[in-house]
Amino acid sequence: MKKRIGYFICHCGINIAGTVDVKRVSEDLASYPGIIHSEDYVYMCSDPGQSRMIEAIKEKKLDKVVIACCSPTLHETTFRNAARTAGINSFQCEIANVREQCSWVHKDKVKATEKAIKISKSVIERARFNESLEPISIPVTRRALVIGGGISGIQSALDLANSGYEVVLVERSPSIGGHMIQLSETFPTLDCSQCIMTPKMVEVSKHPKIKLLTYSEVQDISGYVGNFKVKILKKPTFVDPDKCTLCDECTTVCPVAVPNEFDLGLTRRRAIYIPFPQAIPATYTLDINHCPGLVPIACGKCADVCEPKAIDYDMKPEILEEEVGSIIVSTGFDLYGKDEMAEYGYGTYEDVLDGLQFERLCSASGPTMGKILRPSDHKEPKEVVFIQCVGSRDPEQHCAYCSKICCMYTAKHAMLYKHHVHDGQAYVFYIDIRSGGKGYEEFVQRAVEEDGVVYLRGKVSKIFEENGKIRVWGVDTLSGKDIEIKADMVVLAMAIRPSKGADELAKKLKIAMDKDGFLSEAHPKLRPVESVTSGMFLAGAAQAPKDIPEAVAQASGAAVKAVNILSQEKLYHAPTVAAVNSTLCTGCGMCVDVCPYEAVSLAEGKANVNEVLCEGCGTCMATCLRAAASVKNVTPQQVHNMIIASLEG
Amino acid sequence: MAYFDNIKPKKGNIHIVKDRCKGCGFCVEYCPNNVLELSEEFNIKGYHPPYIKHEEDCIYCQLCETICPEFSIYVTLKEEEEEIEKSKS
Repeated sequence: MKKRIGYFICHCGINIAGTVDVKRVSEDLASYPGIIHSEDYVYMCSDPGQSRMIEAIKEKKLDKVVIACCSPTLHETTFRNAARTAGINSFQCEIANVREQCSWVHKDKVKATEKAIKISKSVIERARFNESLEPISIPVTRRALVIGGGISGIQSALDLANSGYEVVLVERSPSIGGHMIQLSETFPTLDCSQCIMTPKMVEVSKHPKIKLLTYSEVQDISGYVGNFKVKILKKPTFVDPDKCTLCDECTTVCPVAVPNEFDLGLTRRRAIYIPFPQAIPATYTLDINHCPGLVPIACGKCADVCEPKAIDYDMKPEILEEEVGSIIVSTGFDLYGKDEMAEYGYGTYEDVLDGLQFERLCSASGPTMGKILRPSDHKEPKEVVFIQCVGSRDPEQHCAYCSKICCMYTAKHAMLYKHHVHDGQAYVFYIDIRSGGKGYEEFVQRAVEEDGVVYLRGKVSKIFEENGKIRVWGVDTLSGKDIEIKADMVVLAMAIRPSKGADELAKKLKIAMDKDGFLSEAHPKLRPVESVTSGMFLAGAAQAPKDIPEAVAQASGAAVKAVNILSQEKLYHAPTVAAVNSTLCTGCGMCVDVCPYEAVSLAEGKANVNEVLCEGCGTCMATCLRAAASVKNVTPQQVHNMIIASLEG
Repeated sequence: MAYFDNIKPKKGNIHIVKDRCKGCGFCVEYCPNNVLELSEEFNIKGYHPPYIKHEEDCIYCQLCETICPEFSIYVTLKEEEEEIEKSKS
């Protein structure tokens, strides 16, 4: 049957028409073999533009159309839907990109016009051999997995569960809560972090739709959007939470004392411990790395005193398998550690703290019950120096990016310090103050005006200890004077890093990371909560440093994106996938090795493509020595014809 | 570091009844903190009893006490003894 092809070129205002003589292109192509209809229009994507295309298809009985316009990533769907409306298969519509690949990158109108013609011809050659295809439908498992139980993960899990979907919430540490539960008060309203966090944590624990797996890690993941299979390692806590009555007898007999992670080493805990009183799940965990030993049972004192017999030394690690339709990754952040930041005496001097340690000192339920005291001698510090941008905005040695929340939390720290120690003095060394956000600028001004915090614009050059004081040498760049402060305590606003192990998880999930190790969103503006892997979404500081309101907003956004998938009866996958001609296939397996999506496997000596996993990248096609593998509508024949069309004429 | 708490590692006082020991070495082998070592000296039976090599590392787990077949080693809790001493004085 003779092909009846329609050709349309868009002016895109002057975006295309400014550099390409669209009239000439349209006239030139009108005489090209197979072209029945050729026209130009000012905005093809507009409603009248689409109508012209639909009418032309109907009137002239076109069976294929080529639209020369912007990138297919923008309007391919628009035109394919219009083609379907007109009664032809949507895969008979192809886009020739004459904007990003031609008009935008050239100045010479004559040459650009020639190039636009060549691009159009080559796409026409491709369209000529296009098959009519139907999207591949796949079923959906209507459950979600949320990785990370901080504020973002909790918010996502609650939003999903309240929408009626089952959620599996996986948390690596013994309790959910993340970093937010460690904070004292939150900017800019100074409301108690624990007081607003614990109701959400309790809701998670009581929600019938949420399956909470703490002390657990995602070990392996397979499958694809709508149908992921996840293997989760549940580490043994050696305590049965159902039997444990939280009597605390076990910690009184445990002989071990190690630094408590929850208080960032300001206090110690036993080998059997509950991270903090409001922990969810409310139970103890036996830390096997610090227990004197279970094989053989070296001490056994905790089990001896446990009246409800909740301690079981024979508990084994379990591997749980869960099937879910979409995944939200909210693995959060860590602060720069002393291994990365040896400057400013961090890790050397006891009274040089990081931001989270200072949060614990301010916290009403913290190690000092809200009194700000020096770790070295437990005395009240009278002069405290806060240093911002420690590791951030330092492309030569540390992180190039801004950690975003430090300006605000340092202002809060200085303010809280003044509220606790009225006769004390707080100094803040800063580069710039970045207080964009609702009520944020007013908050910083309040610290300066009402609480008398001294802001010094400049960097600190040296910190050293002398006679029980920490001497801070710096410079105030506004007055140009050298500054020396004999401080009692120094608080460093450490750079925010992706949480440890997030890179390994990203590899397992096949989610891209940016240069700093944060998880990459699919598009920085229009797809900020989606990862590049379909069905996986990002929430919170795992994607970039962000404060609580932003993390919560993104978490809710990610939950809605997950619901987009879970609420579908079926999902549809692009049918432009690889196919193997089994008579040509020799079963060499080279395509199996190169496939980045693990979509090709060998079955009975022949390569076999899982169409749902295949993304149509064409790597197998390029690798196959016998041309047995080809991607539908991008076959070697079509590619050959496209090359010929671009080189001739 | 002066921690903001009273949680201290427990400390044990190890008592070895040398002449009961038959030198099996279980206590040396199984001590999780490697506090003990067999000595060169002979006891009355001609065995090498253990001696306390790193007393400060003992955390009063009492595994040696449990495992000793000859009832020749036992541990007491240091803090309790100190309290008794205090009440005496």
